[in-house]
Amino acid sequence: MKFSRAFLLPLCLAATTAFAGTGRDYSTAASSSTAATSDTDTVFPFEFDAEYAYIGKSDVERSYRKVRDFDENYGLVRFIYRPRTAVGYLRLGGAYERFDFGLPEFGFVAGKPPGPLFIGHPQLPETLQSASAVIGLDTKFSDSLLFRIEAQPGLYGSNDLDGDSFNIPVIVGGTYIYSPNLQFIFGVSVDYERKYPVFPGGGIRWRFAPQWVLNAAAPTPRLEFEASKNFTIYAGGDLKGSSFRMADDFGVTRGDARLNHAMLTYSEIRTGGGFEWKITPDIRFSVEGGYLPYREFDYQRADIRYKYDTGAPYGAVALHAAF
Amino acid sequence: MESKALRVKRHLFAAAVLLLSSAVDLHADAVGELAGFSVFGKADPAQLASGDAKTMRGPAMSSSRFLSVESCWVSPGAPAQVSEALRKWNPAQHPELNILLHGNGSDFSRLPQAPDNGAVRALVSATASKSTSLQISREEAAKLPAGGNTMAGPVAAFWSSLLSARAAAGPFGQPPYDYTGQNVRAGDEIKALLGQQPKIQKQFSGLIGGKGEQYWELTEIESKGVLSLGASYNRSVGNGSFQAADVIYYASGGFYAGVTLYQMWPVDVGGKPSTLVWRGDMTSSAEIGDARGIERLGSESAMMKDVSRAVRLFRRDTSATR
Repeated sequence: MKFSRAFLLPLCLAATTAFAGTGRDYSTAASSSTAATSDTDTVFPFEFDAEYAYIGKSDVERSYRKVRDFDENYGLVRFIYRPRTAVGYLRLGGAYERFDFGLPEFGFVAGKPPGPLFIGHPQLPETLQSASAVIGLDTKFSDSLLFRIEAQPGLYGSNDLDGDSFNIPVIVGGTYIYSPNLQFIFGVSVDYERKYPVFPGGGIRWRFAPQWVLNAAAPTPRLEFEASKNFTIYAGGDLKGSSFRMADDFGVTRGDARLNHAMLTYSEIRTGGGFEWKITPDIRFSVEGGYLPYREFDYQRADIRYKYDTGAPYGAVALHAAF
Repeated sequence: MESKALRVKRHLFAAAVLLLSSAVDLHADAVGELAGFSVFGKADPAQLASGDAKTMRGPAMSSSRFLSVESCWVSPGAPAQVSEALRKWNPAQHPELNILLHGNGSDFSRLPQAPDNGAVRALVSATASKSTSLQISREEAAKLPAGGNTMAGPVAAFWSSLLSARAAAGPFGQPPYDYTGQNVRAGDEIKALLGQQPKIQKQFSGLIGGKGEQYWELTEIESKGVLSLGASYNRSVGNGSFQAADVIYYASGGFYAGVTLYQMWPVDVGGKPSTLVWRGDMTSSAEIGDARGIERLGSESAMMKDVSRAVRLFRRDTSATR
């Protein structure tokens, strides 16, 4: 007989990027009890992520208006309870994400040169934050197609979070497992309040050499080198951002009433490299550094947009635990 | 008085009923037994004969590094024929199964014939650099060669010596993989894989013992070369049924150990003797143990796909010969 065991090929789909899909099992003859139970020795399966980043001083501009020399502190904590059910893995939890910008008190130049100059508050928020629930499902349509649907209902606002800042972004996506070395990832992010409410994405995860993996999928496309079983070096990008509701009086002190209660789509792109250390099979710690080449504050409905003028270096640390 | 023609007709009818009822009994016995220990609560041999194999995730096991997949299908021919076909089938002829070398017995002289590809170079490199990713014991690690660029010379000699010693030790006498920092013994993993599925363990009780029919393979797993040792077992269990097992009790990487079990029952499909085959694949792997959530779904799916592919190729290769 000697059926080979070439199939023992655990995938390392990045949990944050792997969109996946579900459905039909070979279940015409299945006893459902076996398919519905948990299969690990973890009594309380969960994931926990914590991330912190500091981005140095950089500038953004809107035509002749500039906001100079502001830095950023970024933080994220996320907890997800992940029980296995008959249809797949539920994802139930919460997340808190925060961008703090060290804006100058009076750094705003207004007025069309060579006309009068006004110094005022920058038309940017000091803080963007979200506190959301996570409600999702990882499941599969077939042995080749994994599927994820996840809603993140919560409050997405600036300094103060209130009911007006409620929003429900949703991601839906799948991973097609062509082979253990090659997977195609596709998906769509839906956020009614964002500049582009429906944002498609996709990519590939390709192990093209024994120690090399091209993990080219948003939001963290990377080229990875597995230096050892527990140590991976990588280079790539990280796309961050979301849509946030500004306060009712946000525009009053910033010289433009259109900014009152405005929706802001914030996005930033980080490019850099780092390493990930698998401290234990359940805990990973990563450190990375690089450069922020792009950033945008877009009050799309008010037609006010601040874009990257100069970038800045950044450093980030992250902890991921999954039990 | 009955006419001769009427008597003949009646005998023919009785014979047909007898044949039909024995076929139904055959089905019922096989399907009932299948339901008794597997995840397949119901099975229709006629449907299975005309379609692809059914594949499902196996029962829950307490260790996260364990994974199991069960499949069933119907092959033409009696169980004895299918069992023999399984024994003789050489999966190495199919490149998609990623078997680079396959050898029967304990003759490792073909190791230098390994292809010069990235997977083999990765194994050679790990050997020459004394990588702790190699699943060997500390005593074996002390004999790692100082250098080597190909699967020849000192590298081939090292692996040939290691595989010979481990083949001689048999499935349950294996040294640990403690050079990796994990004190894992393949024999213990095999016992645990079976022990966590009591119905299956009972069904195949006594099948796996001794050294069996030994073989070795060089396979590609995640683009890395992996040397493994296996042993095959089979037996007749009465009523025309057969059982077989395929135990991989050593792997230089990728997974710790694996067991594949087969149960073959005689069934009648469309008036032709056929075999209802159940296959159970169980594996223990550190990488699977690290997988969580969707990663684990992906691992399960990859394993199910590979089992399905192997079964499909086996059925294709052997259906024409019976």
